[in-house]
Amino acid sequence: MTPAPLNRLVAQLAKLPGIGEKTAQRLAFHLLRSPPEYALELSGAIQEVVAQVRLCPRCFSLAEGALCPLCTDARREDRVLCVVEGVADLLAIERTREFKGRYHVLHGVLSPLEGVGPDQLRIRELITRLGDSPVEEIIVATNPDVEGEATALYLMRLLKPMGVKVSRIAQGIPMGGDLEYADQATLARALQGRREL
Amino acid sequence: MDRSIELAVVVSAVDYGEADRIVTLLTEHRGRVSAFAAGARKSKRRFAGALEPGTLLRAHLVARRGSTWRLDSVDLDRSHLALRTDLPRLSRALYALELCRELVRDEQPHPALFRILVEYLGQLEANRAGPTSLIAFELAALGLAGFMPRFSACALCGGGLVEPVRFDADHGGCVCGPCGLRTAHGVPVSRELAAALAGLQAGERTPMPADQRARARELLNRFVAHQLGRRLNAVDFMAQLGLD
Repeated sequence: MTPAPLNRLVAQLAKLPGIGEKTAQRLAFHLLRSPPEYALELSGAIQEVVAQVRLCPRCFSLAEGALCPLCTDARREDRVLCVVEGVADLLAIERTREFKGRYHVLHGVLSPLEGVGPDQLRIRELITRLGDSPVEEIIVATNPDVEGEATALYLMRLLKPMGVKVSRIAQGIPMGGDLEYADQATLARALQGRREL
Repeated sequence: MDRSIELAVVVSAVDYGEADRIVTLLTEHRGRVSAFAAGARKSKRRFAGALEPGTLLRAHLVARRGSTWRLDSVDLDRSHLALRTDLPRLSRALYALELCRELVRDEQPHPALFRILVEYLGQLEANRAGPTSLIAFELAALGLAGFMPRFSACALCGGGLVEPVRFDADHGGCVCGPCGLRTAHGVPVSRELAAALAGLQAGERTPMPADQRARARELLNRFVAHQLGRRLNAVDFMAQLGLD
């Protein structure tokens, strides 16, 4: 009934995460109704990303050239390395403008229930990287959930014997938060992690 | 609309869509239940921090069409946060959760299994459960789920374990020397190990030496994989990390 190219577009869009058949159809019709230049720009942008964006061979963030901008920036601190689960987490930390060190992206977390072990993450590359860099401290910035904590504990076991200081990002009440409305787990963690004034 | 408040342990949770999660709960009175928690990844009030594997909570469930419930809210009972500070204990807890998740079917109550799981998580959190405890828990859970492997007598003839003893998952446990001639898939097992495992089944809590634990783990992995049709993911995870 519908033209074959439209069906192909709907099928491709429906493969995207969070996009079902109906949404894919709506997006396809939107593209069809839009000026042709928009669709061409969109397809061009997708082609560019596929052709030009690679994983940085040092930190495994996204790179356009040989290394990513964070690895080539000479102003950044080489002695501190922040380990994150994914590129989105790296971007979140960058937005704080507080961290001036380097990054390492694991591309996942250890997940005993899903069968994800250290071999499926960029942990071996992290160890290799430490061998030829002046890193003195590693900040483990994985999420404060069970998988993130398992990953942090594993990294601590692995890295401590190498003589590197390993730290974990703090957990507790968010800025501007209200104790009355804080959930029990977060509040308990905040009490455990209290600091002397 | 059927509503229910259930004491439950979160046995696993997977992200769904942009902000939702599908949570698998082992409840005290309804057995395993899958529940859809809308907005769980963004909600700071209803679910924050609670929908993590191992958390004991009171789940406010609402029946939907199909087999999945809607999780309206939860009251946290115990989050077992201390487990997240120790990788071996955390791994044991996750192994126990996966085992329980796989041993039961949806909405088939297993209150005794629920109780031993809650008790075991509590012992792990209090640092009173070493590596042997996982084997003891596993044997108890298998027994409660109706899969008790037999270590105290021959699983085929019911007689004593005459050497050479073999463990045959197909026949549900150890088989004696004469019966072992009729079994195709058995693996050799020492009488000492069989006696140690039978002791754990009987409630003894004597810590096993590391080499005996490793051998027991092999047998139980074989048995569980035979009963469930697949190896547990946590088994491979613990093996990769050298944990037991």
